[in-house]
Amino acid sequence: MNSVASIVDALAEEQDGGLGAQKSFPLMPEGEAVDMGHAADGTPLLDPRIFDAPEFFRNPYPYYRIMRDHYPVFHDKLHNCYWVTRYDDITECYFDDEGFNTIPKGSSSGVLGNTQLELSGIEHRRRRNLYGQHLVGESLKLRIPAIERLAEEKIDSWDDATDSEWVSDSNGVRTVELGRMFANEFPIRVVCEVLGFPKEAQADFYYWYNSMMSGLGGSETHKQGLEARQHLEDYVEGLVEERRVTPTFLYDNDGNPLGKDIITKLCETRVDGDYLSTEEITSNIALVVGGGGETTRGAILNMWYLLLRHPDQFAAVSADESLWNKAFHETLRHSTPIGGQPRHTTFDIEMHGVTIPAGSLVNMVDFSANHDERIFADPETYNIFREDLYAGKLLRSGYRKDGKCSHMAFGVGPHLCPGAWISHQEAVVGSRILRRRLNNPRINVDKMPKDIDGKSLAPTGLVSVRELWLDYDLQ
Amino acid sequence: MATVVKDGLIAGRNGVVITHRPNSGGTGYRTYEIHQRERVGQSTEKIKPTDLISEAYLRDPYTPLEILRENYPCYRNWLTNSYWITRYNDVTSILADEANFETRPKTWHYGLEGFARDLRGELPLLETHARLLDDNVERIARRVVNEFAGRGEADLATEFAGRLPLELLVKLLDLPEADAGTFVERYWRMQRGTSWEPMAQQAGIAALHELVAYFKPLLAARRAHPGDDMISAVAGLELEAGPATAADLVVTLLEADHQTLHGALANLWFLLLTNADQFEAARSDIRLLKLAYLETLRHSAPILCAQRFARHEVERFGKLLPEGAQLICSAAAANRDPRIFKDPQTFIVDRKDMCQRESRGQYRADGLATGIALGLGPPSKHPAIPEDRPRSLYAITRDTAVTASRVLLESVSEIALQSGAQPHLSSLRLGEMHACWKLPVSFTKI
Repeated sequence: MNSVASIVDALAEEQDGGLGAQKSFPLMPEGEAVDMGHAADGTPLLDPRIFDAPEFFRNPYPYYRIMRDHYPVFHDKLHNCYWVTRYDDITECYFDDEGFNTIPKGSSSGVLGNTQLELSGIEHRRRRNLYGQHLVGESLKLRIPAIERLAEEKIDSWDDATDSEWVSDSNGVRTVELGRMFANEFPIRVVCEVLGFPKEAQADFYYWYNSMMSGLGGSETHKQGLEARQHLEDYVEGLVEERRVTPTFLYDNDGNPLGKDIITKLCETRVDGDYLSTEEITSNIALVVGGGGETTRGAILNMWYLLLRHPDQFAAVSADESLWNKAFHETLRHSTPIGGQPRHTTFDIEMHGVTIPAGSLVNMVDFSANHDERIFADPETYNIFREDLYAGKLLRSGYRKDGKCSHMAFGVGPHLCPGAWISHQEAVVGSRILRRRLNNPRINVDKMPKDIDGKSLAPTGLVSVRELWLDYDLQ
Repeated sequence: MATVVKDGLIAGRNGVVITHRPNSGGTGYRTYEIHQRERVGQSTEKIKPTDLISEAYLRDPYTPLEILRENYPCYRNWLTNSYWITRYNDVTSILADEANFETRPKTWHYGLEGFARDLRGELPLLETHARLLDDNVERIARRVVNEFAGRGEADLATEFAGRLPLELLVKLLDLPEADAGTFVERYWRMQRGTSWEPMAQQAGIAALHELVAYFKPLLAARRAHPGDDMISAVAGLELEAGPATAADLVVTLLEADHQTLHGALANLWFLLLTNADQFEAARSDIRLLKLAYLETLRHSAPILCAQRFARHEVERFGKLLPEGAQLICSAAAANRDPRIFKDPQTFIVDRKDMCQRESRGQYRADGLATGIALGLGPPSKHPAIPEDRPRSLYAITRDTAVTASRVLLESVSEIALQSGAQPHLSSLRLGEMHACWKLPVSFTKI
């Protein structure tokens, strides 16, 4: 047998070795990457199958670090895309809306419809301002009483739920699952309120919302998502027809009208003389829901989870309520609920020696930008007092001020999250009220998911905290 | 917003260089929604994107592909950011449409575009290739078969189908016998390195550079003292941009590939040995043996799919495909399209609904469809056979496979699968050729 034959034999031996594109990677201690091999010059290699692995979802940051250090533009041939991971590159690309466009080819258009997430340039600005204006400034101030009232209502409802699975009292201590009893529904209720949905529709609305969110992935839940989207559209269509005739209003805590709700305003809006189509209105509503629900829920739960794991910082915000703003921003830096945005190259673009062909999908990884040690010192540490994070009023036109950088959770540039202000208010106002009402809150460690050692609490990773079990003392 | 202009290049604020590609003079990007959202009736719940990258797919791609072909002819795979095209007429309409869809060379997968020239289109090279194959295939096939014929048993997948194309390649390049093993190992490593797998990429790129270093002195020597082989032919090429280099030779080898011959031979013998009546027919007549080869390429194409990229936004199959969209043109699905082939799951040597002659890689001749065989380059654009290229690469490869199979049939009799053997087709790695890798047979030497 000569060596040509032995080489073919060796290949045949690989048969049924099972090298599919799915691979189970071992779960590593937080902050450590699986060894995926090294190039001859010692550069660590990155197996693109990691991006689908559970290990990556719970412990992504060491892998992003490999990308930032060794592959600032990583060509992932398995997923047919490029990953951009450094803060400076991502901010640059977000502002370059000519080179990096948002033509829909990707994640959200399937279920949500044509939203301004996937528009560019003038078209995007015009559409975005249609409802963006209702979520900021004076308009936002009108919403705050509604937010406060909803938070109080949610907490009041716990007293009647003590025999449910999610609330229990024992020896003067109440155990509550903050997700189900507060954070999951609270942002949706706020959204319903500002959109002007009737109270009786809000349960349906919550179901549609959940189905649409789970339908985004395009898997077996895809159809459920599309159906929910259709039901939402059918419902909103009726509502829109009603509002076109009879406008409805928002009210303050004393029942005085504050202004028209958003659906009514959208019904009255014209672009170039045309009233908005129902499809346009429902798409916008679907996006407000998607943007306003899951993300704010994640922000609230992550913030409480992280603060309670750092008792000194929790004591600080308890003592000084104004610190909730800093806690909010540091939470979004450390564990953002939204990990990045897709872009597409308009023409061939060369970055860091890699030529990205026109029309390629480029994933901007906000998770990674937020943990870029070139910007934030000691990025894996949660520290609401950090000096290098900008935590003031959101900068519309930039992301750096006084030597500080803002986090990327809301993006930057033309597509800066229009719901940033309202979500900030929801999380901070809601948390302040929670803090006032809960006496000595702490995490019920027994009921929480554990890390691989079976003892310590699980890291937040790419998905926000799903359940947060709290104990607090009843007076 | 790119701001700084220097030397015709536009650099962004943090030094990222942005180059405008001179394109067709389009208006840049669309600012209006170009994708309508999917409606309930368009949901794709019958398949999960993971079904197309699973381990089951490596062994049986046909079941998920049938779901796509019959339900979602232009399926957007969210997981791998690509569109799957699975019907015969759709696939061929893309493969033949170079105006709208581009092929990216293997060097692109290595990030080495522009590294060297691909010389496959050079006529003197094609002629030498065809002539050397014709001269050598019978002799090499006999040598390969004789090595195992006396044993009474062999693994046809490795000892015959896997080995023959490599021995031919070594002969065509006229490499010293001592180098054959090293060369073949590097060659295979280079071919497999174009995949998504990072270890394979690293190994492949190393192999590529090793091969360039290996061929450098060899090419110089043949240039000084030409022989009758492919390296001498490359050395003797008169090219506009200067004489061919060792890198050109290696890139040509990379792009040329040998896997259609390897996979087709393995799958042909797998199908013959598992379909007794068809085997009887094929061995009775060299004409039918040729047809068996063509039917193999249809029924069990070794190269399952080809990638194409949309050159610009184009509306096809009821969808607007954006510029740069990756299309997976599935030959495996198209070749079993019941709209084209009757009873497509069955291996029928003398198929009446398939083109029975050399179609020069066109997808139809005599009004009949051919099996789509990928990996042999674009179909000939010439309306008739040009005088300077009497045979296409398709015909050359087919004749090589048929001659080798004839030699095997002449050398042994009573060839049959070993009892208990359960041969099957599979890909070693996602995206690699789908072939029979173990085919143990017993026979009597003639």
